[in-house]
Amino acid sequence: MFRDKKQWSFVAYLLTVLVLFLVLGVRLFYLQIVRGDYYRSLSSQNHIRIITRPAPRGLISDRNGVVLADSRPSFIVTAVPSEFDSLNIVQVASLLNMQVDALSEILSEASSVPHRPVVLRESMSVEEVSSIAENIYRIPGVLIDVAPLRRYHRAEDFCHVIGYVGLADDPESFRGEITGRTGIELSLNGTLQGNPGLHREVVDAMGRIVEEYRGTESEEPVPGKNVVLTLDAELQRTAFENIGKTGLPGAVVIMNYRNGDILCAASSPSFDTNMFSRGITQDEWNALLQNPENPLYCRAWAASYPPASTFKIITAYWLIAEDLIDEKTMPAPCYGSLTLGDTEFGCWRAHGRMNVIQALAQSCDVFFYRTSQLGSLNELAEYAGFFGLGSRLTEVLTDERNGLVPDSDYLNSTYGPDGWGLGNLLNVSIGQGELLTTPLQMAAMTGVIASSGRMPLPRILLHEEERDPLFPVGAIDDFAFDIVIEGMLQTVVSRKGTLNRVFLDYPWDFWGKTGTAECSGENHAIVVGFTREPEPVVICVIIEHGGHGGSIAGPLARDILLSYFEGSD
Amino acid sequence: MIDLIGRDRPDFVLLSSLLVLFAIGMATIYSASTVISESGLFGKQLIWSVFGLAAFLVGSMVSFRRLEEISPVAYVFISILLLATLFIGKGPADRWIIIGPIHLQPSEAAKAGLILVTAWWLSSLKVRPRKFGEALVFITIIPAIMLTAVQPDLGTAVSMLLIVLAMFVWAGYGLGWIILLVSPVLAAVSSMDILFWVGFVLILSVILYRRRYPVPIWIAFIGGNSIVAALTPTAWNMLEPYQQSRLITFLNPANDPHGSGWNIIQSEVAVGSGGLSGQGFLQGAQKELAFLPARHTDFVFSVWAEETGFIGCVILLTAFLILFWRIIIAARKSVNPFNSLVTAGVGAYIGIHVFVNIGMTLGIMPVTGLPLPFISYGGSQLVVVLFLLGLVLNAGMYWREV
Repeated sequence: MFRDKKQWSFVAYLLTVLVLFLVLGVRLFYLQIVRGDYYRSLSSQNHIRIITRPAPRGLISDRNGVVLADSRPSFIVTAVPSEFDSLNIVQVASLLNMQVDALSEILSEASSVPHRPVVLRESMSVEEVSSIAENIYRIPGVLIDVAPLRRYHRAEDFCHVIGYVGLADDPESFRGEITGRTGIELSLNGTLQGNPGLHREVVDAMGRIVEEYRGTESEEPVPGKNVVLTLDAELQRTAFENIGKTGLPGAVVIMNYRNGDILCAASSPSFDTNMFSRGITQDEWNALLQNPENPLYCRAWAASYPPASTFKIITAYWLIAEDLIDEKTMPAPCYGSLTLGDTEFGCWRAHGRMNVIQALAQSCDVFFYRTSQLGSLNELAEYAGFFGLGSRLTEVLTDERNGLVPDSDYLNSTYGPDGWGLGNLLNVSIGQGELLTTPLQMAAMTGVIASSGRMPLPRILLHEEERDPLFPVGAIDDFAFDIVIEGMLQTVVSRKGTLNRVFLDYPWDFWGKTGTAECSGENHAIVVGFTREPEPVVICVIIEHGGHGGSIAGPLARDILLSYFEGSD
Repeated sequence: MIDLIGRDRPDFVLLSSLLVLFAIGMATIYSASTVISESGLFGKQLIWSVFGLAAFLVGSMVSFRRLEEISPVAYVFISILLLATLFIGKGPADRWIIIGPIHLQPSEAAKAGLILVTAWWLSSLKVRPRKFGEALVFITIIPAIMLTAVQPDLGTAVSMLLIVLAMFVWAGYGLGWIILLVSPVLAAVSSMDILFWVGFVLILSVILYRRRYPVPIWIAFIGGNSIVAALTPTAWNMLEPYQQSRLITFLNPANDPHGSGWNIIQSEVAVGSGGLSGQGFLQGAQKELAFLPARHTDFVFSVWAEETGFIGCVILLTAFLILFWRIIIAARKSVNPFNSLVTAGVGAYIGIHVFVNIGMTLGIMPVTGLPLPFISYGGSQLVVVLFLLGLVLNAGMYWREV
């Protein structure tokens, strides 16, 4: 049987294999010759896509570890205009819970750069994004990315210090990249953001991921570093709430004058920075911009005010240190004003004859009008510079202002050499005129007095090394400091002192100085001061249009310090 | 008939087609390995080629009579290896036995063992026919096929079964026989639909009636197949999910564009983009971007097709066709049934592997993981195939030996 059938089997084998190979050949002909061009075009559309994975952004916390800014998981949905089929627009709009018009507007605006993904919707929760995630394979060109949402705790208290983040929009940024826009978020963006991870994927003509590219290693994201501020979150809240009680815009800066730590930098009114994290709407943004009280503006250091009478502590120091007067010098009495040529320089009341300590305590302008004529404007401006006025005190606070200390060069260029004179010196000597300072600078100059010139420059990052002394060592005159300090004590304790009844029920000693900055409308109320017990802190309170410094800013400073010290016991 | 011992010259047509295929294989693996992080693949394959050459020489010089004597032993040994793989198997899908630096895939050797043992059984049945001898052949080969199937490597198991069936055909068994032998498989497939089942039972009855089998055989076939058909749904659920998905994907590739169907589509894109003359050696874009899955093993043909186009594919298929033709010429020449059956078995091995593998890359066969002989990367496969072809050359040279 075997031999007989062999010929049959031979034919069966050969025929079967011939038929099978013919099938393969026909299929090859179909794929390569008939449809070759189609497959070649498909093949050419396959490409490598580089995905950047955001690194977790560092936390921001206060000096006691209270977390002020962290991140929570969130998603953004983007579309690559060149890969997106506009037939899908209605479906995508309903999946994203958006208006079709709004979506097509975003896409048509983005179509000029067709390969760059455009954000359709940001800060979506897992629940919100799940419906589109289920359908993503049916919608070529739509991508979902993880974009951690920045979350601010106590956002209203810290909005000006910490600032906010937004989606980066420079050409080098990746989809969902978050970048600092203002405040610490901006100035320490490099520290906070870490390094994004790189992930290479091979995608086909329809934008679908085929597999991870094996040519180059992926890089894991490196988390951003945490930032610890010198601020005290409880003190910040107390200060913020106390300004709020006045109903007026204002700022409070509190510093430790031994190490320069900024403990509190409250500015009111404020805003919710979480609006920016989730994507601020045009209406919300317009409301912030058009608010007459300008909540976006950090009054602690981005605003500058005339220091008014608080500046007299510098003028007094200058007069004594330069031996122009001593503690016993009593110029002609104050009759309520001083006339120079045909200009009358007013005082707020007639103080009579007094020495420098009394002049500080009762804030007599005429005393300083008379004594400052013994020196020159440039000398006074130089001393103001020693106290930190006229230049920025920090590097980290990007929106900090310089303020202004006028000297002869400034006045020459502004008014011409003949356009100014002794009157300008008299105005500057009582903190008016062209002089402008930020509340941070006013706190710092008070700190210089409190520490007899030993206070380091202010710092806001807790782990930063203590900075160099603000005041030049060569200019220290301990006697002059002692006199000014005595004057500030008498402001509080003497019967005629401008803060004499404010600190009656305050259990520790307080050294203070009031100021009333002249402006259109009600004057700005200012108080600076310091306390040695229980903590060496210096405070500056400014209430815009708050009237006389002693009557509104003084009680505010007392209340804030009281609740801080009593709370921290 | 001992005095008929003589010797022909080696079949140079067979040798040249073999050389062409081997060269294509090395070139394609070189091309595929340019993008794979394991760039040592080409060098490893070269080393394996030396072992393959040794296996080829052994196969071409071995005495068929000795081989026939040791065939059952070799089969038992290989079955034990397969059993061991189930417990100490390593590597992808646990199909490998690792001894020091050597990684063996016993299921490749099992194919050679099956060819030998089937040839041994069928040729001995020629000399001394037995009642139910054919069933005994099947009972013999079932363990190796089952052990392969549960590895799980369904594709290899099915290819083994097909090789054995082809050898039955070569031994002169008709279509009726084949249907009876594979009736459990047909029963399982026909259980999907009652109409199929009725048709199947009808055909079975006709064959049984024409062969005039007694009642107990009728009961055994109809009853046994009914049990198989009834148990099929349960067995389906016992399949690994990826096997189920592969079967489903084969039936309807569009069903799963991102899973295993995706591989087929990408392979089709690679093959199709080759066009008439290909994108040029080492220039394949699909291969370059790592679109092709398993491009040095299962989908190696796609790389060749993309880079050399229709012309290259025709050259490759022609080389395989010539090889196959020379193998069955040798099988026909052989006087000894064992030699003839072994050679025909090797022919079936080559034909089935080439069609299933290339058919898979062209999207007309399911994804099975059968390698393309001589072309796919893999030492075990190369050594086994070259050993088997050594036997073919041997059988063609000593065809008078009985």
